[in-house]
Amino acid sequence: MNEARDAEAALPGEVTRRVVVTNQLGLHARPAGKLAQTAQNFKASISIVCQDQEVDAKSILEILTLAAAQGSALDLRAKGEDAAQAVESLERLFRSKFGEER
Amino acid sequence: MARVVIPGISVSTGIAIGKAFFLNRNRLAHLPRLTVADEAVPHELDRLAQAFRQAEEELAAARDKVPAELQEHRLIIDSHLMMLKDPKLRGSARSYIADMRLNAEWALEKALGDLEKTFGALDDVYIRERMQDVRFVIVKVQSHLIGEDKDLRSIQGRVIIMAHDLTPADTVELDVNKILGFATVQGGKTSHTGIMARTLGIPAMVGVADLESHVLEGDFVVIDGLAGKIVVDPDEDELTSYNELSAQFEDYTRRIIRECQLPAETSDGYRVQVMANIELLEEVAAVLDRGGEGIGLYRTEYSYLNRTDLPSEEELAEKYSDLVSIMAPRRVIFRTLDLGADKFIQSFGSLEEPNPALGMRAIRFCLRHPDLFRSQLRAICRASAYGNASIMFPMISGLKELRRAKSLLRDTQDELRREGVPFNEEMPVGIMVELPSAVMIAEFLADECDFFSIGTNDLIQYSVGIDRTNRHVSYLYQPLHPAVLRAIKHVTDAAHQAGIEVSLCGEVASDPFCVPIIMGMQVDSISLTPQAIPGIKRIIRQARMSDCRDLLREVLSCRTVGRVNRLVKETIFKRFPEELTFFASLLDNEEHGG
Repeated sequence: MNEARDAEAALPGEVTRRVVVTNQLGLHARPAGKLAQTAQNFKASISIVCQDQEVDAKSILEILTLAAAQGSALDLRAKGEDAAQAVESLERLFRSKFGEER
Repeated sequence: MARVVIPGISVSTGIAIGKAFFLNRNRLAHLPRLTVADEAVPHELDRLAQAFRQAEEELAAARDKVPAELQEHRLIIDSHLMMLKDPKLRGSARSYIADMRLNAEWALEKALGDLEKTFGALDDVYIRERMQDVRFVIVKVQSHLIGEDKDLRSIQGRVIIMAHDLTPADTVELDVNKILGFATVQGGKTSHTGIMARTLGIPAMVGVADLESHVLEGDFVVIDGLAGKIVVDPDEDELTSYNELSAQFEDYTRRIIRECQLPAETSDGYRVQVMANIELLEEVAAVLDRGGEGIGLYRTEYSYLNRTDLPSEEELAEKYSDLVSIMAPRRVIFRTLDLGADKFIQSFGSLEEPNPALGMRAIRFCLRHPDLFRSQLRAICRASAYGNASIMFPMISGLKELRRAKSLLRDTQDELRREGVPFNEEMPVGIMVELPSAVMIAEFLADECDFFSIGTNDLIQYSVGIDRTNRHVSYLYQPLHPAVLRAIKHVTDAAHQAGIEVSLCGEVASDPFCVPIIMGMQVDSISLTPQAIPGIKRIIRQARMSDCRDLLREVLSCRTVGRVNRLVKETIFKRFPEELTFFASLLDNEEHGG
C-alpha cells in the first residue's frame, strides 16, 4: 500500500524505488560512502527517504544521519535525465550488500 | 600614549622591552573568527576551496602509500575522502561565508558544529562516533587554511614570546638567548612558565586575558613585570621612563644579590630563617644563589602531573634523596601531594566537581587513595636518611585527619624498619595551616605536630570565601584583611605556646608590605619564591624588631582593610622608599582592594 501511495506521490519525471538495507551493519560509513560516490556519478538529483526523513544521496554525511539499520526500508527518488539509470545502479548496490558480505 | 595597556599576573619581575613574537601552539583551538567585507567573500571561498583541495591531495597521497594487504585501511581513507568531498559540509561552509561573511576558518567550524549537533542527536552509537572521522578530515582542512606553524628556531633577534599557553615541552625548546620575556593567556602564579622565567631571570606575565585580541605579531611591547601589565606600542615618553626604570631595577637587583648571603637579621638582633618554595630540582641552584637557607616548601605535585601513569616509589625516592642531599645540612620540607582544585593527575581522570577548591583535594585525596599516598610517604622517609628532611600535610581541617595521616606514616615507617631500609626516625612532622577550622583549633593541633606552616594563599581564600582564580571576586583576595592578620597571629601564638616552630609560606612572605607585620608576630621562618629572597632579606636586615612590633600592634587595632593598607603604606614607604619603587603593583592591588 505504501508503495502505491509513494508511486502516486512521485512527481512527473521522478523515478522512485523501494530498497531494503540487507547488510548486517546497516548503512555505516563504507556503504554510505559507496552510495554517495555512485550517486555523484549521475546528473540527476537523488534523494533517499527513510520514514519521514529525506536526505541527499550524494552526501555521505547525510546518508549517515539516517542511521539506517539492517532491515530498514528506504525509498530512492531521482529526478533528471539519467534518473532511471541512477536508481538502477543504486538499487544494485543495495542488492549486492555493497559487496561486503558474500 | 600607548595603544593599549593590558593587565596580567606578573610571575617574574623586571622590565622587558621588545617585539612580540607569537607562538600559536594551540592554534586549532583558537582559530581566527572574523567577519570579512563583501569584496573579500570570493577570496574566502577560494581559500576554502583550495584548503579542501590540499587536504584531498594529502589524503589521496596517504591512500596510495597504503600497502595492498592493508585493504581495510585504504577503505577507511576512502570514506574520509568521501567526507571531504561531501556536498553538505562544504555547501554549508560556503553559505556561512557567502551569507554571513565569515572567514573560511570560522565558517568551516560553524558547519562542523551544525553537523555535530545532527550527529549528536542520533541514537546509533556507531554513527555518532563517525563524527570523529568528520572532525579528523576537517582538522586537516583547517590546518591548510591556517598555514604552517612557525618554527621556534626561526626566531630572529631578541623577542618577547606571546602564547596562549606554554607547556613545559615548549619552554625547553626555547632558545633563552633570544628571549627577553614571556606573556601567556593561560597560567597562574605557580605555573611552569613562571618558574622557568624566574629561573632564567626574565620578566614574565601570565593570565593576560586580552593578549591575543590586543597584541599583533611584531608589535613593540613592554612587559612591566613590576606593575603586572603589558604596554602595547608605547610612545617615546613612556619608552624613556621604562628604559630608566629598567636600568634602576637592574642596578637594585645587582645590589641586593650582592648582599643576599648575609643572614636575615634585624638591626636589633632578631633572626628569622628565609627559605624557598620550589617545585623542581632545577630550582635549587637559584635558591642557593639567592641566599635561601633551606627549602620551606617543596611542592611535590609536579612529578605526578603531565603524565598518564603514576611515578614509582623508586623514582620519587631518587628525586627526593637528591634534593635532600644537595641541600644538606639545610632543611627540606616536603609537602605531601596537594592535588585537586586546579591540579589533577591524568591516571585519576579529572574529578569534575562543582566547587573544586572545596572538594576532594590535598590530604583528603591522599587519604582516599592510601596506596598512592603510601608510595610517596615511603619515598620521603627513604630520602630522610640523606639529610635534614621534614614532612608536612596540606589542608588539615582537624585532628582526625592529622591522626590518620600520621598513622599511615607510622605504618610505612614500620614497614621500612622491617625491610631494613634506613630512614630518619626523628623526621619532624608538620601541617599546613590554611583552613579556618585549623586556625580555630591551632592549640590542639600544635600538641600533636612538630611544626606549623601557614599557607596564606589558601587561608585568605577560605577566610574570605572566594576562589582566588575567579577574576570576578579576586579583588577580595586581601592579605591585609584584619581577619587574616588575626588568624596568622592566633596560629603563631598557639604554636609558640606549645613550643613548636611556625613558618609562613604563602605569597604574603614575599610581599614587602606584609613582611614587617609578620616579623612583628615573631614567626620563626618564612618561605618564598627564590627570586624574591634577596629583596625580602634586605628589608628584614634594614628593619628594627621594635618597629615591627609597633606596626603590628597598630595594625591589629584596625577594623578595615582600607585602614590597614593606608597605615602600612605610610609606615613602610617611610622606611623603605627605594625598595618600594619597584613594587607599585602591590600598592595598586591594595588600592583596588581597599
